[in-house]
Amino acid sequence: MKVKKFINRVKDFLGLDDFEKANKKKSVKNLLHKLKVRRKQLSKFLKKQSQKKRRKEIQEELDIVSLQIKKGRVILKKLNS
Amino acid sequence: MLKKIFLPTILVFLAYGFWISPDFKEISAGVAIFLFGMLSLEEGFKVFSGGTLEKILKKSTNKLYKSIGFGAVVTSIMQSSSLVSVLTISFLGAGLIGLSQGIGIIFGANIGTTTGAWLVAGLGLKVKISAYAMPMLVFGVILIFQKSKSVKGIGYILTGLGFLFLGIHYMKDGFEAFKSTIDLSSFAVSGFKGLIIYAGIGVFATVVMQSSHATLVLIITALSVGQITYENALALAIGANVGTTITAIIGSMSSNIDGKRLAAAHLIFNSVTGFIAILFIHQLIVVVDFTSNVIGIANDDYSLKLAVFHTIFNLIGVLVMIPFVDKLVIFLENTIKTKDLKKKDSYDSVRYFNESALAFPETSLVAIVKESKHLYENAFEIIAHGLNLKKSNIVSSMNIDDVIKEEYSNEIVDIDECYNRKIKGIYGEIIDFSTKAQSKMPPYYIEELYKLKHANRDIVEAVKDTKHLQKNLIKYSASSNSYIKKEYDFIKAGLAELLRNINIIATTDEEDVLLLVLSKSKVHIEKYDLIANGKLDELIRNNLVSNEMATSLMNDSAYAYDISKNLISMAETIFVDARSDMKELKQDMKISEDEIDSLLNKRKDL
Repeated sequence: MKVKKFINRVKDFLGLDDFEKANKKKSVKNLLHKLKVRRKQLSKFLKKQSQKKRRKEIQEELDIVSLQIKKGRVILKKLNS
Repeated sequence: MLKKIFLPTILVFLAYGFWISPDFKEISAGVAIFLFGMLSLEEGFKVFSGGTLEKILKKSTNKLYKSIGFGAVVTSIMQSSSLVSVLTISFLGAGLIGLSQGIGIIFGANIGTTTGAWLVAGLGLKVKISAYAMPMLVFGVILIFQKSKSVKGIGYILTGLGFLFLGIHYMKDGFEAFKSTIDLSSFAVSGFKGLIIYAGIGVFATVVMQSSHATLVLIITALSVGQITYENALALAIGANVGTTITAIIGSMSSNIDGKRLAAAHLIFNSVTGFIAILFIHQLIVVVDFTSNVIGIANDDYSLKLAVFHTIFNLIGVLVMIPFVDKLVIFLENTIKTKDLKKKDSYDSVRYFNESALAFPETSLVAIVKESKHLYENAFEIIAHGLNLKKSNIVSSMNIDDVIKEEYSNEIVDIDECYNRKIKGIYGEIIDFSTKAQSKMPPYYIEELYKLKHANRDIVEAVKDTKHLQKNLIKYSASSNSYIKKEYDFIKAGLAELLRNINIIATTDEEDVLLLVLSKSKVHIEKYDLIANGKLDELIRNNLVSNEMATSLMNDSAYAYDISKNLISMAETIFVDARSDMKELKQDMKISEDEIDSLLNKRKDL
């Protein structure tokens, strides 16, 4: 039996793939939580900010964070399916 | 000069010895075979050390007691304090562990090495181990010729053990025959004088053989056949302990400053321990007798008693030195300094490379990442000063518009000269080290190495592009044409912001901040595309800038674009991918070209 095949069999036997998946899920969830907190903060700043240039910058950050939240949700969905 | 005559003198001395005494020849052959066995053993362990051992070392050295334990266990298993000290020097050089942890491992290695005396005194002389030597050698050599690396490693270990056993056998036989012709014990010197003379002989023998293990085996075998007295054997063991530091000293010659400090620490530690042992030799003998009685060693079994002595005096040494580790580190840092620190404006050189790290792929990679960060530090300084910006302002929370207003100097920084002093040499060394490391790396490490080489090339390209950009940037930043000045200030502000973002990426622990800043930087570089965003057309159409200015602006925007792209790519490799927790996450969350375009369009609409 080839070494790689043997390692995969041991991994299957011990359920290490699930362990890796669970770890990844945990880190994506953690990141999503942080991104959501940041989005909330940025929305608050945007409301308070009156300077046009600064508003533009905050809006840009807000768009990036929203995009990443969307991506994070897709990854999480994939991991759950 | 001394170095040149040392080797021939030793060879002539040995040749004369072989000529006058066949027994001396047998003992020397035993030592040579023993040393060869150790080399083979080291080679075998090196096969298994790539990756696993390094990972264990990283985790087991975060506390002093752990470092000591690690040094003791690994040395006991490998039966080679020299391999452990070389390994420690390579880790120190790569910046994986600090000097105090390195010292801890050396302390532990001193304890671990005492197991060798126990093995030889307890097993080697009591059991006829040479009987095992031959089969081990046969099996070992067969395995060495196999293709698989691990099987080869086992082959080297078996052959190493076989040679060790065979060496001990020859030494023992030689001494027994020697006894019938010359009685070395008649040369025994008693009292303090004898102690000093024999300790000196112990130092000399270990320096010549570069192995305290070999000296100790020689002492124990000579003692077992009554060729030397017990007291003189103790002095020889003390000397061997001091002489063994020569391996670390030689190993540190090709290493960086921390390796040299570690070798000095090893010498100080073993010398202090030896001094204490000589000073309290009578008290130690009483302790050894007492311990031997407790563990059931016969009164006349001097070989085992020597093993007890070796263990006790090394343990005492470690216990005495532990409270002074921090002070020792401070002392070494103050006394052994880098040349660069003394000469501020000299040519900068690599900090984390040493030849011994090349044998360990993971250590080599860590060393290259660290050195790349060092190269970036220098590049950051050159780019900032080349753009006439203050480094401290860039990394502060100061408004970017204010950062570009405050100039670094009234004179133009010579980027070429800075490049030669702070980039060229280090970059050359990184490429040289990477190429050497590549030849010893398994394929799955090579992809990482390739990325790191690219990252370093990106740094160098960014510095070179800054040089091209500098001339016009300085010229038009002071121009009376407010339109061209505004455009160049825009480039300057963009690059200042990028350097600030990379600094955030390099220092933050927050994954969300890292992803946000990285994505923002990628979006921002698109603003240098003056043709796509219509800025250049507008300036030319309205006759706001001359043709020469327009051409310069177009070229310089391209330089700014390249600098940004190269630096972002570099940051992804050496600051993000180097963090195992972020590498995969970054890959999954990466924003695509289309997404960047849509973000830019949204920005225009605002």
